[in-house]
Amino acid sequence: MDSRESLRIAIRSIRAHKLRSALTVLGVVIGIASVITFATFGASVQAEIVGDIGDSSAGNIYIFGTPEGDEGFDRTFQPVFTESDVDRIRAIEGVDAVLPRGIIQVGSVRQGNQTLARQQVTATTPASITPDSIVSGRTFTSGEEEVVVNERMAEAFSENLTAGSTLTMVMPNGEEREVTVTGVVSGTRGELPISDFARQPRVYAPIDPFYNSVVESPSAGVRQRAYPQVTVVSDPRQIPATKAAIEGYLSTDSDARQLSAADTELVARSGSDFVDEISDVIERITRFVTGIGVISLVVGAIGIANVMLVSVTERTREIGIMKAVGARNRDVMGVFIIEAALLGTLGSLLGVPLGLVVGFGATRYADVGFSLAPSWMALAVIVGIVVGVVAGLYPAWRAARVDPIDALRHE
Amino acid sequence: MSESSGVPGSEADDPTVVVDTVTKEYTIGNTVTALDNVSLSLSRGSYTAIMGPSGSGKSTLLNLVGGLDTPSAGRVTVDGHEVSAESEAERAAIRGTEIGFVFQTFNLMPRLTAVENVALPLVFDGWSREERRQRARDLLSDVGLGDRLDHVPSELSGGQRQRVAIARALAPDPALILADEPTGNVDTDTGANILDIFDELHEAGNTILVVTHERHVAERADRIVHVEDGHIRSIEELTEAVD
Repeated sequence: MDSRESLRIAIRSIRAHKLRSALTVLGVVIGIASVITFATFGASVQAEIVGDIGDSSAGNIYIFGTPEGDEGFDRTFQPVFTESDVDRIRAIEGVDAVLPRGIIQVGSVRQGNQTLARQQVTATTPASITPDSIVSGRTFTSGEEEVVVNERMAEAFSENLTAGSTLTMVMPNGEEREVTVTGVVSGTRGELPISDFARQPRVYAPIDPFYNSVVESPSAGVRQRAYPQVTVVSDPRQIPATKAAIEGYLSTDSDARQLSAADTELVARSGSDFVDEISDVIERITRFVTGIGVISLVVGAIGIANVMLVSVTERTREIGIMKAVGARNRDVMGVFIIEAALLGTLGSLLGVPLGLVVGFGATRYADVGFSLAPSWMALAVIVGIVVGVVAGLYPAWRAARVDPIDALRHE
Repeated sequence: MSESSGVPGSEADDPTVVVDTVTKEYTIGNTVTALDNVSLSLSRGSYTAIMGPSGSGKSTLLNLVGGLDTPSAGRVTVDGHEVSAESEAERAAIRGTEIGFVFQTFNLMPRLTAVENVALPLVFDGWSREERRQRARDLLSDVGLGDRLDHVPSELSGGQRQRVAIARALAPDPALILADEPTGNVDTDTGANILDIFDELHEAGNTILVVTHERHVAERADRIVHVEDGHIRSIEELTEAVD
């Protein structure tokens, strides 16, 4: 049978029951739209985060302790990486620089008469501040009472911080230290990628004279500064080998190993490891949430099947007529399957733009860049058609099996 | 076709329809014999009426000849096709090309226009859209509905609907026109008009089989086959209808 004729009959039938068809299509629209919304939002968040990490961290290897068996981003904060460890890691082949990072607990930070409570100050080396991350001013100098702040911190005070501003850091023991802000930066090299997301106001200070966490180094036998996290800058092309060498060192004769609890794992992860892990987590979440969207798509399919079954019953006589004038069973099936497929296709054609609009709204609301998920869109349209066809199969089969004699007698 | 020579009414050498010792049984709880060993032949160009009370088996006979049903025993042949031995799909094709149905309740597709209804059998026979629409327009003009081409059935009177149905029956140029109480749902005058159309079709050489319980309808035919309790009781030749 001419499929255009089946299409024509299907369109007539859909138009003859406008409200019913519209509600059926709406079921599919909601299903497709929710799949598209969740998939688009997931893709947008992923692109945003991966973009953030990917920017400046190529070649970075992050060394930290993590609870054994943990697949996520949990890390321990014990200062276990000693100066001796830092020196010996620096000697590993492929390592260009080692950037130890420590945390200085500060009671509050004050400028003029405005105080910000419970601030964390990151202690690191001047090398952590790369020229391209400096928004204004310069990096701090080791041994000086100087700090740099990130842009969020600069804007945290009613009078914005600039190079040359003076801050008062109130230490937990009540001691007040007056420091000079030498620059505003967009970030630091060696910062763990995940800490970027928080986008907290941050203050960075030189290790000397601010950071004073010391332990006795088992290898050197003297008290040394020790850090909870160390970032290695290495040749990006040799990351796997360098990473393996560092992990080898960490797990055997490092101070960190001896200073850490037995169930703490000392790991070295590259920027791309983080990208992979985060992508993996987001993808899992996206898939799960999209799965919920798929459930509403299934509900939409049930709607189509339901309406088609009603339609077959209502049109029993028409089926009988078609059969009497020469329609074969597959012609009758074709008419009903095309009608069901049309409902599904209409649903996806309307659902995709709706999903994109809602997804776009969600990315705006979440303040992330909008990214399309084209494969999901194509999939949604195909799924819509398939849903229609599958939902129409049983009703169409029922239609094809209608006995023309009974059907023609049907009122 | 010599084997059908013993069948009553097969005076012509090449009959359009041969019903050869056909039995039809239904099992609805117990077995009911709707037709019992019935034989009948319709010669080419003949006009036959089947009369009988309801439950006599006349509708069953019509369904068998029309290829809508298959016999329990015996053979039905329409224009050389042994309908009773064909697959369901083949029977559908034979219905579409060799048989034109006219029903008491018109049985038009409610959402298709007159032209589309008439063209419907040609859709399943694989005609192109333009060809079948042209054919449908011509046939509708022939039955006097040239000005109702794009009306849907609900916009037509009963008589007009039945004329659309007749045009649809003629669309594939069938070997046989089967009519089941064609005047049952129209008033007397309109019914007479419909029967006049059948007369014209007969004169034009079409083979017609009408099932009715009304004597005045049956009398338009060449002969009347009286069916009762699944048997052919008698065949009445109407001489005045023969030229």
